[in-house]
Amino acid sequence: MVTTPEARTRADALAAASAASADATPARSTARRDGHPAPSSPSRLNGRPRGARKTGERDRPLWMLAPGGILMVIVILVPLVLGLVISLMDLDQYTLRQWVSAPFIGISNYVEALTKSSLIQSIGISVGYSVLVTLVCLPIGVAAALATQNRFRGRGLVRSLFLVPYVLPTFVVGTVWRTMLQPDGVGNAMLANFGIDGGLWLNGPQSYWALVFVQIWASWPFIYLLVLSGLQSVDAEVHEASALDGAGWWTKLRYVILPYLKGPITLALIISFLHSVNNFTLPFVLFGIPAPADVNVLPVLTYITGFQNFRFGLSAAMAVVSLILIAIPLFIYLRAVKLDTGEDGGSRVRK
Amino acid sequence: MMKRKLVLTTALLAAGALTLAGCSSEAAPGDSAKPLDGAGKTLNVLTDANTLYPEEQQKWFADVSEQFKAKTGAQVKFETFATANDELTKIQTSVVSGQGPDIYSLGTTFTPTAYATGAFVKLSEDDWKKVGGRDRFTEASLGISGPDKDNEVGIPARSRPFVMAYNTEMLAAAGIDKPADTWDGLLEQAKKLTHDDVYGLSIAYGDNFDPWKFIWAMSTQAGNPIIDGKKVRLDDPVTIKAYETYFGWLTKDKVVNPASIGWKASQALASFADGKAAFMPMVTATSINTLDASAVAGKYAYAVMPTIPPGDTTRPAGGKEAASILSGSNFVVADYSKNKDLSFALIEMLTTAEAQKVYYETFGEMPTNADAAAALEKDNEKLAPIVAASKLSVGTPFSGAWGDVQLGMTNVVVQAIPSLNSGSVTTDQIVSALKTEQEKAQSALDRAK
Amino acid sequence: MGPVSASSTIAPLGVKPHRASAKEGARQAQIHRLLPKPLLIVILTALLVFAMVPVLYIFFASINSDLAVARGAFWPTELTFENYSKIWTTVDLGTGLVNSVLVAGGVALVCAALSVSTAYVLVRYAFRGRLLVLRGLLALQSIPGTLLLLPVFVLFSTAASTLGVQIIGTRWGLFLTYLTFALPFSTWVMVTYLRGLPRELEEAARLDGASPFKILTRIIVPLSWPGIVVSGIFAFLLGWNDVLFASVMTRPESRTVAVALQIFGATQEGGAVPVYGQMMAAALVCAVPVVVLYLIFQRYLVGGLTAGGVK
Repeated sequence: MVTTPEARTRADALAAASAASADATPARSTARRDGHPAPSSPSRLNGRPRGARKTGERDRPLWMLAPGGILMVIVILVPLVLGLVISLMDLDQYTLRQWVSAPFIGISNYVEALTKSSLIQSIGISVGYSVLVTLVCLPIGVAAALATQNRFRGRGLVRSLFLVPYVLPTFVVGTVWRTMLQPDGVGNAMLANFGIDGGLWLNGPQSYWALVFVQIWASWPFIYLLVLSGLQSVDAEVHEASALDGAGWWTKLRYVILPYLKGPITLALIISFLHSVNNFTLPFVLFGIPAPADVNVLPVLTYITGFQNFRFGLSAAMAVVSLILIAIPLFIYLRAVKLDTGEDGGSRVRK
Repeated sequence: MMKRKLVLTTALLAAGALTLAGCSSEAAPGDSAKPLDGAGKTLNVLTDANTLYPEEQQKWFADVSEQFKAKTGAQVKFETFATANDELTKIQTSVVSGQGPDIYSLGTTFTPTAYATGAFVKLSEDDWKKVGGRDRFTEASLGISGPDKDNEVGIPARSRPFVMAYNTEMLAAAGIDKPADTWDGLLEQAKKLTHDDVYGLSIAYGDNFDPWKFIWAMSTQAGNPIIDGKKVRLDDPVTIKAYETYFGWLTKDKVVNPASIGWKASQALASFADGKAAFMPMVTATSINTLDASAVAGKYAYAVMPTIPPGDTTRPAGGKEAASILSGSNFVVADYSKNKDLSFALIEMLTTAEAQKVYYETFGEMPTNADAAAALEKDNEKLAPIVAASKLSVGTPFSGAWGDVQLGMTNVVVQAIPSLNSGSVTTDQIVSALKTEQEKAQSALDRAK
Repeated sequence: MGPVSASSTIAPLGVKPHRASAKEGARQAQIHRLLPKPLLIVILTALLVFAMVPVLYIFFASINSDLAVARGAFWPTELTFENYSKIWTTVDLGTGLVNSVLVAGGVALVCAALSVSTAYVLVRYAFRGRLLVLRGLLALQSIPGTLLLLPVFVLFSTAASTLGVQIIGTRWGLFLTYLTFALPFSTWVMVTYLRGLPRELEEAARLDGASPFKILTRIIVPLSWPGIVVSGIFAFLLGWNDVLFASVMTRPESRTVAVALQIFGATQEGGAVPVYGQMMAAALVCAVPVVVLYLIFQRYLVGGLTAGGVK
């Protein structure tokens, strides 16, 4: 939803900038859309630099955006728009064959999704579990990064091993944990050693915790990785300075190091949250279909609605609703943390 | 001229192949039509992956390909799907894009769904002739080919009726001469056979495919076909009773292993194969392979599952003698296919008595060809109950909404698992779960066109 | 603040951003230590156990008997490596691996190239909508795959019927899909990386009259290897792991290893006791290329996500 306008702007920018653009339509729409004359837009529309207000503007190689931009438009944005259209259609097993002429039913699908389906519940489950996973992963990832920051014998090996859960393909993770979490599986056998009766992990209320646990297992290394790279940016002088101050490790960590990690951590939180929210494969492989109500997460719900019940219109409406509900807060958050601004293109090195 | 010559050669070749394959001449009325020229053409066939006999399946593919090439000159390319999900997705994507396999070998319960899309060839009398005539097939196997005789899309490919395996040694030791034909009777026998770590019944409550079949069978036997015209009857008392019985085996009667709450069908079968259960209902003939290689080899037999609903000693009026869902595969031909006649020719070739006999001998799946089925029944005593179950199979309701209903029935079991684990599923719980599913299923049925 | 300090360490050819660990010496180590030693040991041990026990289990299960696995044994009761030879026929791993390597490898290479050029423009040049594009890169990640699956399929199959280009069922279809899905994050990684690079060299080259493309290939790319490697690896991983799209867009001959394995796993549900051993062996074999890839490029991974600090 939110992605459409600005990505289209981008596509337009490319199309307009690239003189050899094959498709003229987007370029024309650019002209209309960019009605407000911005300082830089005339030069862009000509595809030829005119004003050289900033150094960077002289010959901006905007054509370099074209390949990626065109791909994203064709393979993501067009299908997204198609998905939006489908969400307004009564597309099911009876109309699928002639899907183009499936009846338009306006927002009926949205009404049904919000009032008659378990969409709201699923959103709750999805968001709750993703937030939980992300919040638990954070301290684990940070601790792991801090612990492997210093050199020690075998550090390279440890760093690699930490990444293994993350690089294992999701369906492998799902298959393995599904085997381990069976009622008679190795998971419960281990718990029994501690006198705990594990019970059912793949059905019923505990399935929620099984999903949270497995997702944490598989995704903390990502946060670890980003935090570790963030630590690289801590200047050597900073360490020196805090050593001179005689700061304790906690003080140093809290007031000197962590502020450096704000950027990477924010990025890690966002990506990790989105991965959890959109992870279809893991719950699908772990629990099968129909999923227990406790882990009826959004991707599973939309998948069942579409590909099991043939309600493609309703399914698309659900996906759009969830997209809006997730993307809007995300967008506001992005603006707030200014993760994306970095330095302005064309301006001097930022201080 | 050249072309005619080619046709002739092909025809001769085809005739030769037919004789070689040992096809009885009356089983191939398709021959009377002019021979097909499939040279340079390719038929794509989508079928289920056979996990028990993967290598045999590959060989079978090659054999069929070769045989069909000799007959028509056309190539046959097989593609397999692994799961019901794959199967559905393949149907959907092909339907929406108007391209994909020419022939689908679909699970019978998917035939209504396929029919609802309108993307598969509705068989005319002529089409039936091309595949060897409608009367080539056993009457029961045609039960899920279409909503009525004039609107059929499915050509019966093979039959996999559900039966019950039982441990002959255990039954003999307990002085039971044969499995009961009522669910109540079966329960009594199961109680008698439960002791120590051996249980009367082996049931897979955690399976995503089995549970609804019990509920459907008991309901149908009690006179509730679940979909009754324009009405879904999931909240019917007999269906509630069916769920109570099904859950009761574990919670009240304690004739099943408590661990089976989390079991898939495979684990339930493994338990039976280990000699830890007396009865294993809801298995197909394909279990022969596992069982013959297990601890119960030579000590088990098959029987038709009970056909008299729980709480009754005779089948109530309106109840059907449903021993099994009509299970197996149907061939359907895609409407977008450019090779329809070739497709029918291939289906004809695969459903002759001879071809189905070969198929049975390789994969253990029952023929749909009437002659082949009759011959099999005569020759093999062990298979008699399976053939009987095949005859007593009843098709699930032919509705585009069946998929939703089936998912709903399964979902009631899935969501009841935690309660099962804690030892009791109350009638109220069942009623309220069924109410939800009833509403969903009814609205799906209301959408049916 | 990154760029300033980075400029001092990143020489034209210098690629290694490991500034903190560049200098040796015990005092340095002491100063750079972030956690007290006991805590460090506790954390390392706990995390290693947490991460590795399930991985070990995969290996143990792959050499154990299927029945023992079903009964919940962790340690193998018998040792048999025959699962590792069986899977090549039962799972059709060979075809799958070839397809996956071709598709994911191709995606990784092309994605890395595209993301570095896209990011270069986004970081170094001002144009309208630039900020929106940057935000869009992150926002694109929030589109659920289940929403795109059917439309992408419809789109590709339309290409077949209108343009006569068969995309569905070929490796190209997968390649295009994964490439595009990987681009937003890879580009973001490159944006982050490039922001940290000093601009002095570029400015100098620009004054010498070098074209932007020349600057990109001669100056930016040589300086950005760590970032490029990371972009490529993330793209590779996406192509290697996807099941959702691959399961509907492939035919047997273009099937990726992920799908082959998923299908094999799924078919185990209905039969007798699942062949856990083969499943786990196949899972390991299928994970090995990715793990090896990570191990090889491990030192880039850390440095590649940031040159001058993610700000």
